[in-house]
Amino acid sequence: MQLKDKKLYKTAPRGYEMEIIQKALNKGRNTLSEYESKQILSAYHIPVVNEILTENIEDLLIAARKIGYPLVLKGCSPEIAHKTEKGLIRMDIRDDEEAKAAFDDIYSRMNGSGNAVLVQEMVKGKRELVAGMTRDAQFGPCVMFGLGGIFTEILKDISFRLAPLEKRDAMEMMREIKGSKILESVRGMEAVDLDLMAQLLINTGQIGLENERISEIDINPVIISGSKPVAVDALIVLA
Amino acid sequence: MSENVIGMDVLFNPGSVAVIGASEKPEKLGSHVMNSLIKGGFKGEIIPVNPYSDTTMGLKTYSSISDYGKQIDMVIVAVPAKLLVEVFRECADSGVKGVVLITAGFKEIEDSSGIELHNTIGEIADKAGICVIGPNTFGMINFHASLNASFTPEFSRVKKGTIALVSQSGGISHLFGFMAMRTDVGFSKIIGLGNRLNIDFAEVVEYLMDNDPDTKVLMLYMEGIDNPGRLMEIFKKHRGKKPVIINKTGSSEKGDQASKSHTGSMAGRHEIYMGAFRQAGILAIDDTENLLDSAKALAGCPELEGNGVAILSGQAGPGMAACDVCEANGLKIVDFQNHTQGRINQNLPPLALRSNPVDMGPAWYDAVASREIIKAVMDDENVNGILILIMFASANVGVVNGISHLLMNWKQKKPLVTCIYAPPGIWDREMEHLEISGALVNFPSPERAARAMASLWRYKNAIER
Repeated sequence: MQLKDKKLYKTAPRGYEMEIIQKALNKGRNTLSEYESKQILSAYHIPVVNEILTENIEDLLIAARKIGYPLVLKGCSPEIAHKTEKGLIRMDIRDDEEAKAAFDDIYSRMNGSGNAVLVQEMVKGKRELVAGMTRDAQFGPCVMFGLGGIFTEILKDISFRLAPLEKRDAMEMMREIKGSKILESVRGMEAVDLDLMAQLLINTGQIGLENERISEIDINPVIISGSKPVAVDALIVLA
Repeated sequence: MSENVIGMDVLFNPGSVAVIGASEKPEKLGSHVMNSLIKGGFKGEIIPVNPYSDTTMGLKTYSSISDYGKQIDMVIVAVPAKLLVEVFRECADSGVKGVVLITAGFKEIEDSSGIELHNTIGEIADKAGICVIGPNTFGMINFHASLNASFTPEFSRVKKGTIALVSQSGGISHLFGFMAMRTDVGFSKIIGLGNRLNIDFAEVVEYLMDNDPDTKVLMLYMEGIDNPGRLMEIFKKHRGKKPVIINKTGSSEKGDQASKSHTGSMAGRHEIYMGAFRQAGILAIDDTENLLDSAKALAGCPELEGNGVAILSGQAGPGMAACDVCEANGLKIVDFQNHTQGRINQNLPPLALRSNPVDMGPAWYDAVASREIIKAVMDDENVNGILILIMFASANVGVVNGISHLLMNWKQKKPLVTCIYAPPGIWDREMEHLEISGALVNFPSPERAARAMASLWRYKNAIER
């Protein structure tokens, strides 16, 4: 992918994200499911984890073939936040037997608040980052970058820029956090591809600029796989 | 020039100033305003207005603006809020261009009548094209016009300089004024915005950038504003023209805790402001002391071209203290070029710290050696800025005189920031002379000197695109 300031490369046709948003609003929802959220991210060329939404064991096994073990299974519903706390995430699933058991367990825990299980490739990578967008009453869409996963809340090591971001803004906000060394080549890990990460931040801001109804975006974690960022979980809030 | 700019030009450089509520009674703010104007040495016409007296501090006193009969450029208002509508109508009728509105007690109190009054006088002022500083301000000072339009006559004791302070807090403005007196910082203007009837940060910043040759550095103290987007656009438009540094309070404010996303709950206004400042090319500084120190360095030093610094100290300790601050703030204690190191070694015994940071202690008694070391470092291509830190001792009393000629002639071809420090009365005159002639910028601790140097580098990064 060629990277230029302010340039946007979408995979889905323009208006696709509008469709998802409108469908949710029509149903009176103000959050998008993890799957829908990532569909929007991918329409804005943000690299997202390989994943397939399944509703029964048969589909689950087909998805498992397509993606390949090890897998992650997650209960997927716009009504469910805090999946970890509710026991709706199973990591490192190695074979069909484990997959079927996990599927049944997640299904029962969802308690009728949804009927879909997301089958995901298990992205390998020790570094977790966060990217996000919030619509500020005075400044408009603002983009956040920081340490991801459990460290997001604990360390609050984050930085903000107003959208639209230029390449330089994205580069600076990555350098600005206290833990910015995590982006470098450390402990045998490759340095993070800063161009790709910058583009991810620029595009996150662009989603905010082009979609008034989106009030907040969380992409957490963005896992660094090799040197490349991959959006593994995402939440989009509508207003 | 827009009406606003013309108005502000008159506001800051009036030929005549009327004081509404002039008085001789110390319990009236009008008396302190009169003192500020008179003792501050204002050269234009001073027109006291008070219907109940004939003279104020020896000046003929008028019952109203119209009673004066001639053109009045600017008016300082220090009367109770209930009289303001009438005062503003009179100002509008008689062609007044600027008002400093000291009167407080309307918009900030929780009473809708106060907001109504704010809006009413706002309309009158806008319609008549009157620029208003305030309400609820201590006033403003233009040091280059000897105009102290505040209720604190002592502001006139601040030195005339090139830093403009624009502040949302009266208390903090006083703090900066007094700190400036103690650390030899000069101001071009001090402007207390108060509750910002029609002159806000945006208008003042634009004026200072485009129309004020007296101001070289803008130093802002901000609590919060209504339209930050517009201000950011103005900053961007003037990126790199004059340094802007800002202290914005509110880092303890939290994001929206009810927010469903991490991003929303962690997006405090402060973090967003900091990002916006960075994008706009202005330098945010997190405490008042460092803000003033940074302004002093930016006003008194040339650009720091790179982050390589040399530290030359009269004693090892202060050098180490400065090193730590430099390293923690993005500056590099560079290795000298070979021939520089050679020249230093010729002038210091092997037992001393001769590489960067250099301990010049052993050269105390030898002005020639001290000069040779400083000269070598000045010429070093790796060095972008120099910190000199010398604590007085009876034995080294001659060192400042010994190096001052060299420093004066060099005139900061690269930034020279110092902490040359002695008991009061010793070296004071020499240091003042060196500072006034632009040979160096001095601070009262090695850490403050190092932080000020770091601000030069941070500013250079902030404006780059």
